Amino acid sequence: MILELKDYVGDMKRCARCSLCKWPPLAQMKSWRFSNNCPSIARYNFHSYSGGGRMALGLALAEGRLDEITDELLNIVYRCTACGACDSSCKYNAELEVLWPIYSTRAHLVGMGYLLPEHSMIIESLRKEDNTMMQPKADRGKWAEGLDVKDLSKGEKAEVVYHAGCLYCYDPELSAIARDTVTLLKEAGVDVGIRGSQETCCGSIAFQLGFQGEFIKFAESNIDDWNAAGVTEVITSCACGFGIMKSVYPLLGKEMKFKVLHITQYLDELIKQGKLKLSRSLSMRVTYHDPCNLGRKSETYVPWKGEEKKVLGQFILREPEKIVHRGWNGIYEPPRNIIRSVPGIHLVEMERIMEYSWCCGAGSGVKQTMNDLALWTASERIEEAKSVGSEAIITACPWCERNFKDAITEAGDNLMVYDIVELVRQAL
Amino acid sequence: MQVVVCIKQILDPEMPRSAFKIDSEKKRVVPPQGIPPVISPFDENALEAALRIKDEHKAKVIALSMGNRLSRPLLTKALAAGADELILLEDTVFEYLDSFASASVLAAAIRKIGVADIVFTGRQAADWDSGITGCAIAEELGLPCVTIARKVEVNRGQMRIERVIADGFEIVQAPLPCVITVDSDLGGLRHVTLQDLSSARKKPLQVWKAGDLNMSPPPPRCELLDLYVPKRETVCEVINGKTPEEAAARLADRLREEGFL
Repeated sequence: MILELKDYVGDMKRCARCSLCKWPPLAQMKSWRFSNNCPSIARYNFHSYSGGGRMALGLALAEGRLDEITDELLNIVYRCTACGACDSSCKYNAELEVLWPIYSTRAHLVGMGYLLPEHSMIIESLRKEDNTMMQPKADRGKWAEGLDVKDLSKGEKAEVVYHAGCLYCYDPELSAIARDTVTLLKEAGVDVGIRGSQETCCGSIAFQLGFQGEFIKFAESNIDDWNAAGVTEVITSCACGFGIMKSVYPLLGKEMKFKVLHITQYLDELIKQGKLKLSRSLSMRVTYHDPCNLGRKSETYVPWKGEEKKVLGQFILREPEKIVHRGWNGIYEPPRNIIRSVPGIHLVEMERIMEYSWCCGAGSGVKQTMNDLALWTASERIEEAKSVGSEAIITACPWCERNFKDAITEAGDNLMVYDIVELVRQAL
Repeated sequence: MQVVVCIKQILDPEMPRSAFKIDSEKKRVVPPQGIPPVISPFDENALEAALRIKDEHKAKVIALSMGNRLSRPLLTKALAAGADELILLEDTVFEYLDSFASASVLAAAIRKIGVADIVFTGRQAADWDSGITGCAIAEELGLPCVTIARKVEVNRGQMRIERVIADGFEIVQAPLPCVITVDSDLGGLRHVTLQDLSSARKKPLQVWKAGDLNMSPPPPRCELLDLYVPKRETVCEVINGKTPEEAAARLADRLREEGFL
């Protein structure tokens, strides 16, 4: 199994409660207003809601010190988008795992049967309908109706498979972006296919909520299907899907005969190769929001197992050396390259970017089950975008886009939200 | 009319193969992290049977579960589906009981409840698949028992039960009170909504310990000698021959040698 709380007891014990997980590193901080990095601790301001607090809680659970699992404890555990900002901040100075103990704490509780009813509904939908949207499986391929594209589930062959993901398949407002993506790829001469109604969830939400058994089923089935389809590349425009395929799928030990790419990587290459020519000028001042799963959470995780030695009674040396994921190798430049390629556009950066980016608030099932936290988190990002004079916020994940749009509607704001594919389509 | 349904919390029988681990020293299955326990699927069928009786006859349905460290969020699904009350028999001495001891504890709880016109259980639990508990409860309570039901109806104070048999079903009539074990042919548990789950929290949930039943479970009648995951070994041997007929003859000889023919 991938998530075992006992594997992180060492990390949880070494957490010094320094609280550096609550902010971006000092050198990266640009103003007091946008100096938080963790939506959960910023909103609730009680230590248990922070990365360090969650480590303390996980340790107590692993050591069997909790007599009772209360509703309040479950509330704390799940009022977190698992964005990984705490992890990146902690690793600026230290080498502790923070995000994976959070996942493992959830898996531990799930194994004990402590579930939130709302999460049970999502998992039920996954089991019965292969999606997290509580929608019929048969409707999954409807987004592509009338689109001239190969359907690999019907035996057709293609070099590349486009994985739309649950939200693009079922959100009527966003599914146009999935259609645009396929059209763009075809216009650029890419031999692309889809899996229509046979496409299934990537398992990302199940994993992040701690339901790793359900995740393993979906991940293994997807790997088998893509291997059997004989594709060389899997492209997705859902950052959550990309993050899980890139960072966790390899841990299952199954051979993956394909490369996983996010649409921004692919479009960036097509633009560089001259296969897509962005000629129409869009006079606009925009900013780019880094989705957590495309950025800091997209590095392939390598669990460490070995011996820890204390040197001079203070320093920990690990044998073999530990590969530390600091979020440095996320997909940061390709989306920015695409935006800069659009004539007339002016890209301005927000204060919290790349591995220290502020989460949109939708991740880890929070959008579906704790929408108040999701909308508050998005509204903070919208304020940040407006503070740099941006007219629009560009993102590369349907969950971020959905949540920003909802928060803007609720606040009656006028900031525009675009997916990067929409931008490219407009500029062609 | 009062109906009692026995529901068992078990490890998910549909967990990935890689997650299934056994502690051979303790002779126990290791509960995996990240895979929630479930209500045994046949017990969900039993609950559905009880709820259908409730729909028709306005019966009160009491769900009963036994074990140690039972999952409230999981078992309150019974209340969300329509049961009126949930009683958890929760004690360290209720853990790892065999079917007969389990039946003894459940029967003691049913006696404490007082009135039970019908007792439903699944035909077997999906963890050990023994299929004994339902019948043993009937034995303890001195009630008639009908097993593997696919349809149940209350008609003029009698139960009319369609019972699954190898080549179809038979119709059995039984007096009340009685114990009925239910098959999956009866149909799955009705859909539970988020609203149902939220309102289930307001329904009565009682926890009874061994002391509340004035009993301690009897010693086990079954001894578990060993618990292991069978090893699967595949050996491939190619049988050749100058002609297909010769190869076939050699293959037949080889199969006979191994005792397969």
